[in-house]
Amino acid sequence: MKPNPSTIVCLLIAFASLGLSGCANVGVKPWEREVLAREDMQPDTNRMDTAFDDHIYFSKEGSSGGRGFGGGGCGCN
Amino acid sequence: MAEKDKLIGGALAAACGLLTAGTPGSSAAAESEPKWDLETGFLYYGESDDRVKDASLSALAIRDFGDERKLSLGLTVDTLTGASPSGAISSEAPQTFTSPSGRGTYTTPAGEIPLDSSFHDTRVAASATWSQPFARLYNFNAGLDLSTEFDYQHLGLNAGVTRDFNQRNTTASFAVAYGTDKVKPVGNVPIPFAAMSDAVNEDDDAPLPGRGADSEDKDVLDVLVGITQVLGRHTLLRLNYSYSDSSGYLTDPYKILTVVDPITGDPVVRTPPPGVEGPSGVYLFEHRPDSRTRQGLYAELRHDFSGKVLQLGYRYSTDDWEIDSHTLEARFRVPFGASNYLEPHVRYYTQTAASFYRYSLTDGVALPEFASADARLADLDTWTLGLKYGHQTVRGNEWNTRLEIYRQTGNLPTRQLIGNQLSSAQMPDFDAVILQFSYHFKL
Amino acid sequence: MSAPLPRKDLRSRLVVAVAALLVSAVAAAADPATSTLDLARYRGKVVVVDFWASWCKPCRQSIPWLNGLRSRYGAQGLVIVGVNVDAERGDADRFRREVPIEFEVLYDPQGTLARQFDLQGMPSTLVFDRDGKLVHTLLGFREARREEHEIEIRNLLNRKIS
Repeated sequence: MKPNPSTIVCLLIAFASLGLSGCANVGVKPWEREVLAREDMQPDTNRMDTAFDDHIYFSKEGSSGGRGFGGGGCGCN
Repeated sequence: MAEKDKLIGGALAAACGLLTAGTPGSSAAAESEPKWDLETGFLYYGESDDRVKDASLSALAIRDFGDERKLSLGLTVDTLTGASPSGAISSEAPQTFTSPSGRGTYTTPAGEIPLDSSFHDTRVAASATWSQPFARLYNFNAGLDLSTEFDYQHLGLNAGVTRDFNQRNTTASFAVAYGTDKVKPVGNVPIPFAAMSDAVNEDDDAPLPGRGADSEDKDVLDVLVGITQVLGRHTLLRLNYSYSDSSGYLTDPYKILTVVDPITGDPVVRTPPPGVEGPSGVYLFEHRPDSRTRQGLYAELRHDFSGKVLQLGYRYSTDDWEIDSHTLEARFRVPFGASNYLEPHVRYYTQTAASFYRYSLTDGVALPEFASADARLADLDTWTLGLKYGHQTVRGNEWNTRLEIYRQTGNLPTRQLIGNQLSSAQMPDFDAVILQFSYHFKL
Repeated sequence: MSAPLPRKDLRSRLVVAVAALLVSAVAAAADPATSTLDLARYRGKVVVVDFWASWCKPCRQSIPWLNGLRSRYGAQGLVIVGVNVDAERGDADRFRREVPIEFEVLYDPQGTLARQFDLQGMPSTLVFDRDGKLVHTLLGFREARREEHEIEIRNLLNRKIS
């Protein structure tokens, strides 16, 4: 990844105001998603590990959660 | 006119054809596509010495109904044995405590941190979630989850929506979860700061002194707002903001605080009445606020280095109990051979103590409004170091195993320590081993 | 009876696209796998151009459906052309062993054709009528819409060239 200023600005805008049009130039073309479609690039890889870990750390530490879901992948349909 | 009839006739024929016979090519292929995605796992969690051991079996099944409509079903059973710190401090003399049921006592040797022998407890948790797209760019999910163990029950509902932008390079998500829990502690819910009472006979049914209702409730509302952004062919970034509001009974009904002498800092000594067994000191049940509001920020980066995947995550959490935490986590998946991978994992977690965390309570000093000696609310650091190995079978299924070690180190609240505590105070630190086996397959 | 369709604009656009493709194909001549898409040779037929990839899950459903369309309507003048956008030819070959493709496939590993047609998603299915005009762009594939799309194609097959 080459973090360029427009990427950083886009992310800050998106996060601060969910102004998603700021991210219009960041990303890949629909036919360029071969790596993102791989199983090991999905947000829910290691799903079972995460579930077990969340339960352990919730019982043993003071704060928990907040990981979220969705996005990435092949971008199909 | 003739053309139009032909069109209508054609449309009807096509519709009927599709409804009855279907098309050999497409239906055969659709039938051969796996519809069930199953994952089963076994986890062993074991702390050092006589402390907590947990064995867990879990299964997750996702049934694909086509066009990305999915039903996820989960079931987990785990059994817990071993003991965990009660919140009482260690002492130069042995200490005796009444067990949570009130029907017996247990003794902690001198110099050791008192551990409350947990119950052999089995927990069952189940969940069901439905997920489907609507309109081309939206996806909706809703689910419920519940869990039960002998002294605790949980029921939760959740719903979420995602929307894609920028040719699916950006995904915005929003989710809400509501949970309601009921705790039914052994011996009933202790009155805040009530003193641990003497033991009673096995067959004595009278309510214990210092105890109140037989159950208490708690509600939790969670909100999550997130963005997933494709940064490049090899890079994915996820950012989340989470908000959590708990209200109701948030106290741990089994945790106590030791009352200590204001000069020596040693536990105040108490002698039970003759013929009765009971605590050797003055131990008060803890009391936490009845609400907790927490906010968190989470960022995760996933980057592919020609087949090797690095996952970096950072989470910051803050709440109105003054527990602030940072979590830093990294995983690096390295494939080798045609179908194997190794994935080292490291996690660092640090938190500040709750505003009402107390090492002990001082005799003669007015009680604070809230207090807990639960080490999980103290200033602490943890490290996890692990390695996972996975293997893909010829059919495309995967089995994997991981071994991790976890170390928790509490930081003494030095400003609170008095007298002998300054030299002898200790936090109930521990090491734990995590071992997991999983099998992921499609049917 | 329908009015004469204005084909000049779309047709000339296609010709320009094809010319540009030929130029870039010559420039990228090192890779013999890059194919050009010459729609002119299918004039008079209804052409369905389907962009697919080995990593595209819905393509496992859309391709068998297209196979079915070809077997049912090929005789009436339906032509299906697949365009594969995998960067690695091996991935496409592996996919084809699992999912048989019964129509002609062109290979576009550099994404040149994909860019020319400005694909908005995967899979993308472009439907050209008998006059070579792009009339439908299907984005993604949903089982639930198969019937609807099949009816649209039948309608195009039933229309004569103007």
